Amino acid sequence: MFLFRLMNFLVGYVTITIRGEAPEKFINMAAARGIFLWDIARPGEQTMRANVRLSAVRPLRHIARRTRCGFHITRRAGLPFLWMRLARRKALAFGAVLFVLGLYFLSSFVWTIEVTGNSRVPRKEILSVASAAGLNRGVPKWRLDCPAVERALKANLPAISWAGVYVKGTKVTIEVVEKTIPEKKNQSPAHIVAIKAGVIKEVLVFSGHAAAKEGDTVVPGQILISGIIPPSEEQKPEQPGSETHSEQPAPRQPTYVHAAGIVRARVWYEGYGEALLAETGKRFTGHRVTRVCMKIKGREIILAGPQKIPFLHYQTETSVKKPPPWRNLHLPVELVISKYYEVENYRLVRNRAEARRLAGERALHAVQKQLPQGARIVHKQLDELIVKEPESLVRVKAFVESLEEIGTEQPFTPGEESQNQVPAPPSQP
Amino acid sequence: MTWREWKKRLSEFLEIPNDVMLNLPRVVLMGNLQAFIENHRGILEYTPQIVRVGIEEGELEITGEKLILRNILPDEICVEGMIKTITFK
Repeated sequence: MFLFRLMNFLVGYVTITIRGEAPEKFINMAAARGIFLWDIARPGEQTMRANVRLSAVRPLRHIARRTRCGFHITRRAGLPFLWMRLARRKALAFGAVLFVLGLYFLSSFVWTIEVTGNSRVPRKEILSVASAAGLNRGVPKWRLDCPAVERALKANLPAISWAGVYVKGTKVTIEVVEKTIPEKKNQSPAHIVAIKAGVIKEVLVFSGHAAAKEGDTVVPGQILISGIIPPSEEQKPEQPGSETHSEQPAPRQPTYVHAAGIVRARVWYEGYGEALLAETGKRFTGHRVTRVCMKIKGREIILAGPQKIPFLHYQTETSVKKPPPWRNLHLPVELVISKYYEVENYRLVRNRAEARRLAGERALHAVQKQLPQGARIVHKQLDELIVKEPESLVRVKAFVESLEEIGTEQPFTPGEESQNQVPAPPSQP
Repeated sequence: MTWREWKKRLSEFLEIPNDVMLNLPRVVLMGNLQAFIENHRGILEYTPQIVRVGIEEGELEITGEKLILRNILPDEICVEGMIKTITFK
C-alpha cells in the first residue's frame, strides 16, 4: 500500500469533483475501463469526490461526456506539480543549488583547530609548528597532509612523544602526548626547620642529622633535621690514615646534605566561637522570581516575568547583556535579567545548651580553618567563657591538640650556617 | 431442478469452490471497518449511509455511517467506514 502511494506521488494525482445525475455510473464506467479511482467520498447529494492519477484524466473526459456528468479538478498533488512550481520560481531553484554548493565548498576547509593533551607545551607553540607544516585556519582539506603535520610536530617539539592529527568535518584535532620528564631533585644543602611551635612526637630522618628528639619543645624556625652532618667518631682513625702525608690531622670537615625526613609534633590550637541566645536577622526564603527586560534607549520592556515583584522584602541580582560594540558603534539595546530573591526577618530563640553547642561548633570550625592538610586531631576540649554579668551571648573557646608534620625545607649556604645556626637552635625566634 | 442447482451440484461433486463455478461475490469483512467485495457488477448507488453494489443475480446493500469507497477495480471494491448491515437482495 505504501509502494502504491509512493507511485501515486511520483506520477502525480488529482482530486476531482464529479457533478451530475448519476455519478455512480461514471465511477462504474471508469472502473470498467481500468481507470483506478480511490478515496471516493460523497460530500453532497449531487457531487462526488475521488482521486485519480494524472495520466487517467484525459480518458475520464470521454467517460464524463458519455455519462452526462461533469468534473473539475479541485486539488493537485505529487511530484510533477511540485516540479512545475519549482520551474516557475527559477531563483528559488538557483538559490537551493547555490546553497548546496556553498555548503559543500565551505565544508572543505579547515575552520577550527583544537589541541588536546598538552599541559606543559603551550598551545601557541604547537599551533605555530603545525602552521609551518601547512595546517592553519582556512587551509583547504585536500591540501592538508595529516601524516606530514604529525611528523613535523614530532620532529620540532622535543617535549612531545607522540602527535596525532585528525580531520573531522571542518575541525582538526591535534592530539599530543607529552614526554614525562623526571623532576630534578634539589640537592643543595638544606635543613628541615619547624614552621610551628609544638612538642615533637616522632622524628624520622631520611638524610641529615637529627637536631631534635622526641619530647622536645620546638619553636618556629628551629632546626629539626640539620643538613650538616658532623664528622662521626668512627672516621677519626680513618682520616689520619688516609692523609698520612700531613702530620697535623686536618680539622674535620662536616658533610653538607639536603636534609629530608618527617617530623611529627603535637601542636595546640585555640579557636573562639559565640552564639546569641536570641538571634534576629534576615534570611532568604528560597522564593525567587526572574524578570527579563529589554532596554531600548532608557525604556524598559518586560519580555518575561511579572510586572510587580510579589515580595515585600527582596534582594536583587542583575545581569546585563549588551551586543558587542563594533568600531565605535554601540547599539542602544541591552538585555537586563534581574533575579529577585525574597528575604524575611526572623527571630530565633535558643536555650543555653543549644547556644553552647552552636558556639562550640563555631569555635571548632574556626580551629579547623587553621589546621593544615594532613593534621590529625588527637584531643579537643570546649570551654565556656563565663562573664560576670549575665549576657545574651554564649562564648566558647576550643582547645584542639593535633598531630601533624611541622617540618619544612630551608636551604642554607654551608660556610656561614655552620658557624651561627647549628650550635644554638633555641636562640632562633 | 434449475440450471443453477445443477451447477451447484456439479461444483460440489468436483470439489470446485462455489464462487468460481457460480460467479458468486466473495465478501471479506474486517470487523465493521472494511468490506472487500470481489466479483461485483458495479456500483448501483453510493451515499455516505448506503452503498449498493451489483452482483450476479441481485444486489448487495451495505449500510452504515461515513462510508467511503477506498478503491475500485474492475472486479474489486473496498468500502470503508462504520458498517452496520450487509444485506442480499
